Amino acid sequence: MNIKNKLKKNVFTLVVVLLYAFTFIYKSDIGVLALSNSIYYFKELLSIMPVVLVLTALLDFWVPKRVIQDNLGKDARGKGMFFSFLLGGISAGPIYAAFPITVMLLKKGASIRNVIIILSSWAVIKVPMLVNEVKFLGPEFMIVRWILTVIAIIIFSYIGARIVKKEDIVFENEKFVEEIFDEEIFINCSACMGCSLCTKTYPSLFEMYNKKAYVKQYDIDDIDSTKLNDAIDNCPTKAIKHKEQ
Amino acid sequence: MDIFTIAMWVITLIFLIISFIKNKSETKGAFKKALGMGKGMAKSLIFVILLIGLILAYIPPESIASFVASQNLFVSTVGSALFGTITLIPAFIAFPLVGTLVDASVSMVPAVAFLTTLTMVGIVTFPLEKKTFGMKFTVTRNALSFVFAIVIALFMGVIL
Repeated sequence: MNIKNKLKKNVFTLVVVLLYAFTFIYKSDIGVLALSNSIYYFKELLSIMPVVLVLTALLDFWVPKRVIQDNLGKDARGKGMFFSFLLGGISAGPIYAAFPITVMLLKKGASIRNVIIILSSWAVIKVPMLVNEVKFLGPEFMIVRWILTVIAIIIFSYIGARIVKKEDIVFENEKFVEEIFDEEIFINCSACMGCSLCTKTYPSLFEMYNKKAYVKQYDIDDIDSTKLNDAIDNCPTKAIKHKEQ
Repeated sequence: MDIFTIAMWVITLIFLIISFIKNKSETKGAFKKALGMGKGMAKSLIFVILLIGLILAYIPPESIASFVASQNLFVSTVGSALFGTITLIPAFIAFPLVGTLVDASVSMVPAVAFLTTLTMVGIVTFPLEKKTFGMKFTVTRNALSFVFAIVIALFMGVIL
């Protein structure tokens, strides 16, 4: 059972390794070419991933939840879409570089629609790309494609957000989000009904915003565990979670 | 490195220094988180990259140009869109390539479809995206991107 699970988890790795093995046995020149192709992508990975990861962690710490919710959340509407296009448009690196930063924004209250906009514009309409596009395909091509793509993204991000709900993502990978961001105290936004009991119990840790409770910026050493446990116990929907070390 | 990547490094470093001055222990914590995230993604990314390298070795991007030139519009559009979904190609190779596609083909529709799916839809990055956002999100986003890539391409063909 254990081996089966392990195999299932690593099926992708296994397939790649086998493909390489076959290639090297039967067509070693293609194998060499494949490895030399990969080197370019490794360089690209190393030039962008460290900076994206550090930036994600820093933003996660310094930018309060309600700022994200305000500017990229469901109620931000046009403003949220504008910021999403801007963020995706000025970024660098391939689409996978956008994954850590967008999942962090999602966790902090960005809407699904805006996450789709960021990912898509990160992939296909970012400024460094456009410069290249003008060079090889001409300004007219670039402008028409840019406008059409923006319209398309606006439409399909709307459709996407109708199909996928935030709960789907949280439900499917809550473990991953928690592992990655390692939040000690967090509030399950979809469970919180905004009764504000926690902010009354522990006002210096919790705050209300848009009828939902949020955890303020905190230093883990300053946490009053009695008050925190009171708040957790008092919460009628058990939306507050505390991960003890 | 292009100017935007450099700018990102500079901004992040400045941000990191300010953060460190303001709150030393939390900045260290953030750094640890970044490291943890990196570890979580590293293995998947390495194999994603090896797979891209392999695909490009078997199907060199140039072969798509000859394919597009020899087929009718429908087959070449869907075909090049599909080819674009499989792999990721850096912009500096993609644009000259799309340039030759536009020249080779009777219409620019396949070239545009290829360009859009190339960057926006990813079969090879699918496992990583699924791990990050879950199955439903990943399938929905990629499927919508694919359909709209063809829609964009058709409109481009009508306008230009």
